[in-house]
Amino acid sequence: MALDTDSTHIRLSAVGVVALSLFLTLFMRLWFLQGIDRKQFEAVSQSNRLRVIHEEAPRGRILDRNGKVIVDNKTSVVVSLDREPLRKMKESERDRLFVKLADTLNSLSVPVKVSLIQKRFNDTRYAPQDSVPIAENVDDSVEIYLMERTDEFPGVLVERKAIRTYPYGALAVHVLGYVGQINDTELAERGVTSASLSTSGVDSTTTTTSEADDDVEKRSDYRPGDSIGKSGVEQAYEDDLRGVPGQRTIEVNARGDLVDVVKVDPPKQGNDVWLSIDIDLQAQAERLLESRVLSLRGRRDESGNRLNAPQGSVVVQDPRNGEIRAMASFPDYDPATLVNGISQEQWEAFNDPNSGMPLVNWAIGGTYAPGSTFKLFSAYAGLSTGYLTGANAVMIDNGVYKIENCKGEKCEVQNAGRTRHGRVDLARSLTVSSDVYYYRLADKFWNLREQFGETPIQDAAKLFGMGAKTGIPLVGENSGRLPTPAARREAYEARPDLFVTGDWRSGDNINMSIGQGDVLATPLQVVNAYSAFANGGTLHQPQVAIKVTRSKDVTIDVMADGNTELVRTIESKTKSTIPFTGDHWDQIFRGLLGVTQDRGGTAYASWHANPTAWPMAGKTGTAQVRKKADSALFVGWGPAQPGIPPEYTVGVVIPEAGFGGVVAAPLAFQVLQPASNGTLTPACPLSDTTACDLAALDAINKAESSSSTGSRD
Amino acid sequence: MATTFRSSDRTSPWRHVDMALVGSTFLVSVFGLVMVFGASRRYESGASYVVKQSAFMIIGWALMAGLSLIDYRRILDWWQVIYGASLILLGGVLTPLGSLGDYGTKGWYALGPVTFQPVEIAKLATIIAVAAYLGAADRVDLRRLVVALVMFGAPMGLTLMQPDLGSSLVFIVVGVGMLVVGGVDLRYLVALALVGVIGVVGILQSDALDQYQRDRLTAFANPDGVSARARYNVEQAQTAISSGGLTGYGFGRGPSTRLGYVPAQRTDFIFTVAGEEFGFLGAGTLLGLFGVIIWRIWRVAQLARENAGRLLCVGVMSMLLFHIFENVGMNLGIMPITGIPLPLVSQGGSAVVAACVAIGLVQSVHMHRYA
Repeated sequence: MALDTDSTHIRLSAVGVVALSLFLTLFMRLWFLQGIDRKQFEAVSQSNRLRVIHEEAPRGRILDRNGKVIVDNKTSVVVSLDREPLRKMKESERDRLFVKLADTLNSLSVPVKVSLIQKRFNDTRYAPQDSVPIAENVDDSVEIYLMERTDEFPGVLVERKAIRTYPYGALAVHVLGYVGQINDTELAERGVTSASLSTSGVDSTTTTTSEADDDVEKRSDYRPGDSIGKSGVEQAYEDDLRGVPGQRTIEVNARGDLVDVVKVDPPKQGNDVWLSIDIDLQAQAERLLESRVLSLRGRRDESGNRLNAPQGSVVVQDPRNGEIRAMASFPDYDPATLVNGISQEQWEAFNDPNSGMPLVNWAIGGTYAPGSTFKLFSAYAGLSTGYLTGANAVMIDNGVYKIENCKGEKCEVQNAGRTRHGRVDLARSLTVSSDVYYYRLADKFWNLREQFGETPIQDAAKLFGMGAKTGIPLVGENSGRLPTPAARREAYEARPDLFVTGDWRSGDNINMSIGQGDVLATPLQVVNAYSAFANGGTLHQPQVAIKVTRSKDVTIDVMADGNTELVRTIESKTKSTIPFTGDHWDQIFRGLLGVTQDRGGTAYASWHANPTAWPMAGKTGTAQVRKKADSALFVGWGPAQPGIPPEYTVGVVIPEAGFGGVVAAPLAFQVLQPASNGTLTPACPLSDTTACDLAALDAINKAESSSSTGSRD
Repeated sequence: MATTFRSSDRTSPWRHVDMALVGSTFLVSVFGLVMVFGASRRYESGASYVVKQSAFMIIGWALMAGLSLIDYRRILDWWQVIYGASLILLGGVLTPLGSLGDYGTKGWYALGPVTFQPVEIAKLATIIAVAAYLGAADRVDLRRLVVALVMFGAPMGLTLMQPDLGSSLVFIVVGVGMLVVGGVDLRYLVALALVGVIGVVGILQSDALDQYQRDRLTAFANPDGVSARARYNVEQAQTAISSGGLTGYGFGRGPSTRLGYVPAQRTDFIFTVAGEEFGFLGAGTLLGLFGVIIWRIWRVAQLARENAGRLLCVGVMSMLLFHIFENVGMNLGIMPITGIPLPLVSQGGSAVVAACVAIGLVQSVHMHRYA
């Protein structure tokens, strides 16, 4: 009955062969996957289930030169919304969640309105993938309550983050700068791209610690949403202040739920930066500047121009090494308002010219006609070219100067108020601030340009750093302007419609010689130039920080024994040296010393009303601005005594304020007065700023018993 | 020397139990239970799957034992009834009596808490019917060939209407196996092959298949052109298996399994549990045990002393072989994704019972070949 033919067996064998080869195929493939391709698939498996959570480190602190903490951190518990999952919810479902969240938070005594949650949910200030805060600085109990109920509150996060605190409030805010969320440009600058983010695997994050110098490669361990210094020291010393981010490697299941924490690399706090600023001196400068500016506002000068004093700056520098001891810019702002990001309205208010633009550091960013403070450079030019020798060094100042080879109406220029200064030599010209002396010099220079070149005055000013950034490591520095005949020609040729002429004339030289016309300088430039003169000719690059340290324990005093380890010292830098020959330095010095010490000096009265413990040399400046009140300037240094190195250079610039000798000079002396006699009062911590500041001002007012009278200019 | 008693003893079914088949089937069944446990332990209700699967195992083994004791010829005698009933069941699933299953296919009956898939019965019924029909004659003439083709075609068509593409492919493979061994003229076979190739191309080109079916079928050949979901399934399965390496992560420790990254892991992708947690050694052993089962069935086909029994074995062998190759192949990323279970391992009652019954029939052929 059976069909045992060969054919059947052959066919059955064929089926067997097919079966065998199918099994062999499966075995080979299995071996290929598990034996050969394993590594590759293992990596896929890891990237599937392991997530690396980037945890920002607290930033390092910022201390003043004596170790007082000016910028510190505190931990803030933040309730925020992870909007990604919330967007996927139905609107009604989401609304119910928001109501429930608000109710819950309110019952935990965190006042939050549903409307605020809604508003934040739709807030376009934040990138779509970023979480948005709805309550900050909440109690630990809120954190615990919400963490235990993550199922009930999908998309609600409770995070801890270190935020900046400012024990001294707005003090030194322009030097300190602020911190904000890193933007696309900053990420790109640091070589962080979406590609580099996705390839940074489980445990690789490159950290290149570097100095705050421009030419050193910047650190690249940033992620979107990280904080970064945006201005001031926060920006300049970003690489020091930023700590090493931590990483938590967690395992998630297919739904994305946390299953296990695999690895924890805790973040490391950044290093502390010590400023060259003395916070006590800074406080002195700021409170005096503010009170002076506010007292000026609303008054009018003799010509009826309003004294608007829209802003003001005080800079104190150590002329020996270029370190900044105090840098005040008015108006200021409360840095605490920027800690959690800034709203559009606030940003606009900050940049409104009517508000005085408080974000601008006017001491480095404001440019003003330097007025008579510029005469230092003209004097140096007159001496170094050899023109002001012999008979040329002296003249009779009748209050008026007639421009040579001049035809027409505007051929006479005069001193402020047509004051006659009589017989004037170089020193006298500085002490009494004779304009005529410099008119003549500038006129001669231009007429003798075959001999002296077109730009002897500009060349001198350039030696003192005019027309170029000082290189202080703060963003927002302006280079000022030093006009030249060549630049004038170029500008005219580029846009002939904008200028009357492209020619440089005697009048231009004359204007420039007394710091008027097209000359512009920042308060810091002027101070740095006078420091260079005061120290005998060394032009420094101003510094705001002196060292970087690491504290073993940030909770105890940095000054405690063994707590602080030096990371690096920030050396002062010399930019160039200004040559002085013969008695040139002494001639100028005598003139500048006379400004405060000679009866005819423009700041004689105001110095004697607010005397420092040692004599000071300096120069007043009253710069005219079209249709506005004059800018008041004073720059000087002390001690100004032969054989004693100068310790402080101080500069005061207040636009639309009146006479330099009346407005700026007394302020400069008052700033240095307590430092000169060892009575500097400690800066006022935020806790009792107002009372403390009022007391300090009171003390100053009492010292200022005889009222301040200054000379014109 | 042989007495009547001894002679009858020689033909006694009890003397011809294929213990290797029983043993390998048993080991695969146990392996399957362990895998189901492994794939479901991450759920709180995971143990319930194991309990349920064990219950079906017991039912399956009971049926296997029972069937092997009955002379398969008795069963073949009822082929018209069996085949007819299975077609009715298979057709009924398309009516409102049936339930929707995965991917929107309508291939289930729900009887209270228990569901079953009539296609599992239909596959066996068709094997029985064709074996009986073709086995009754000495040679397969054109008339018998056509009838046999219709016998395969009917359940296949009904299955396609669910639509369950994978299961309908089983009918083709089983058909090819049984027709080849059944002695169909080679010329007819070649002609059929040509028709088949043209048919497949035609189906893929036409709108007869839903997009998801086409995607799943072509995912392995064209990874870029398919839906993200299909690609995800393949990737996750391969990742799990490959990262198991030589010895695996150990039971309960495979990340993809533990964290639920492999979709349908209790059913279609259960092989990944073996691959990831027991590595090449474990997965290879499982494949080897399947190899033993197939080899033993093939051997029974050779030992069979009449056409019908041999065809029964070849049908079962083709069916199981296709299930194994297709299922493991898709786990390994070399075969398209279809919802075909891994016999005795994938969680699912109907498939387990059907596999047990199929092997029981083969055992019956082995035991009763001298009867």
